[in-house]
Amino acid sequence: MSVGTLVRRFFLVEMAQGMWITLKNHFRPHITMEYPRERPALAPRFRGVPRLRRDPGTAEELCVGCLLCEQICPDDCISIVVDKRPGGKGKMAKSFIIDYERCCFCGLCVDPCPTTPITAIYMSHDYELSDYSRQEFITQREALVDGHPLKRYAK
Amino acid sequence: MFHTEILEVNMGPQHPATHGVLRVILGLDGETVVQCKPVIGYLHRGVEKLAEHKLYVMIPPLCDRLDYVGSASQNLGYIQAVEKLCGIQVPERGQYIRVILAELNRISSHLVWLGTHGLDIGAMTVFFYTFREREMILDLFEAFCGARLTTNMFRIGGTLEDFPPGWIEGTRRFVDLLPSRIKEYEGLLSTNRIWLERTKGVGVISAEDATNWGLTGPPLRGSGVNYDVRKAMPYAAYDRFEFEVPLGTHGDTYDRYLIRMEEMRQSARIIRQALDGLPGGDFRGKVPKKIKPPIAEIYHVIEGPRGEQGFYIKSDGTEKPYRMRFKSPSFVNLQALPALSNGALVADIVAIIGTLDIVLGDADR
Ligand code: SF4
Ligand code: SF4
Repeated sequence: MSVGTLVRRFFLVEMAQGMWITLKNHFRPHITMEYPRERPALAPRFRGVPRLRRDPGTAEELCVGCLLCEQICPDDCISIVVDKRPGGKGKMAKSFIIDYERCCFCGLCVDPCPTTPITAIYMSHDYELSDYSRQEFITQREALVDGHPLKRYAK
Repeated sequence: MFHTEILEVNMGPQHPATHGVLRVILGLDGETVVQCKPVIGYLHRGVEKLAEHKLYVMIPPLCDRLDYVGSASQNLGYIQAVEKLCGIQVPERGQYIRVILAELNRISSHLVWLGTHGLDIGAMTVFFYTFREREMILDLFEAFCGARLTTNMFRIGGTLEDFPPGWIEGTRRFVDLLPSRIKEYEGLLSTNRIWLERTKGVGVISAEDATNWGLTGPPLRGSGVNYDVRKAMPYAAYDRFEFEVPLGTHGDTYDRYLIRMEEMRQSARIIRQALDGLPGGDFRGKVPKKIKPPIAEIYHVIEGPRGEQGFYIKSDGTEKPYRMRFKSPSFVNLQALPALSNGALVADIVAIIGTLDIVLGDADR
């Protein structure tokens, strides 16, 4: 062992160095978040649960029932029954079910959706999904389009 | 004079140091380990078989869940294998974006490793600091693709989207910040006498043994073998960048620690070069509507954060693979655990498992 190392060991240099770094970090801004009270700002592309949306102009349901999202979903969690659009031309989904319990939030279902200028199915910013029974996760079209099936457990 | 026998002890399947669900059967003679048998399979999900029932486009989310700490590399490897199989060209910008994200992922994976390895050995503080920096990378991932851990960020032919506004500046800021933070970790660990006692000369493996066991990644380079897939068989855009492959000399836990620290710096260097030279143009090439490769077999390797990640696909000309096989570095590195731990103390087993940097999701598949 060299003299230098011995001196460093004796005067606990590495210990002081470590303590100095810890002290420096003490004065850096806090990064932890008190979760339910504070919420993180989500990125615009954040992938929460998939939902359906309406045309922002005409408020008509955008989905044309092409079944592409059903086919690409790797977890088979979408099931659609297609019917004629009432009063109009084209088709729409009579029943559109997403099983949130199986969804892995991969976002693949949004890729092939053909509606323009926005896709009918989209990844929303909702992420708090706890519920009391598994049945609640099987979400119907009405809830996907309009309602907010996520429960809020506020005091 | 005394009657002695070897005592068998189970470490795991649930043990904080096993990084997943790993059971190690230890044969102890006093404090010395004379036998060591890793038992795996607790996280087996049958990913390879599952993939045979899915279209090629559906498989990337499965790959994410192999090595969930390095999911961008898994994505990249699988998607490049499919592109190779179908002869799909990826535009230069797409390649650069992929390199940037894969390197960010390497840094985040090494940060997780450093934090947990420190935690295993008893250095608690580093864990908080590394996870703080990792959070910045996860925020970048979230801004780019929407998810933080199981990212599914690449698509066949390129990426789904370009960088969002402000992303490049954010990444630059992070990459500029990182070296000073790495210096802090090193200030806490590199000369710390407890750290040195716990890592120097622990889990030594010679270059020859490491090659014979088939180790890859930092455990191989720690023994001084210069093999990095990014240099040996450049994929994506790695041949355009300048970076060094750090090598160790002793093949012990401390050398592997130094290598991973240096790799983080080199990754930051690659990202900086890629951001500077980011070409314009398309980020996604022409992709057929239906991915239907010809009847062929392909094996593609990339350098993941843990080592050589292999993807074998056998196609029978349909839209689904006939056979999938993932060669995971965690599995191969883990099998060297008995060789590394022979004659070590019980307490060192924790350090040795940590230094191999295994992810059990990857080992069990
Ligand atoms: S996000 Fe993925 S798993 Fe969920 S519905 Fe869409 S395709 Fe299916
Ligand atoms: S891909 Fe779009 S339009 Fe087609 S069924 Fe799904 S949500 Fe409807």
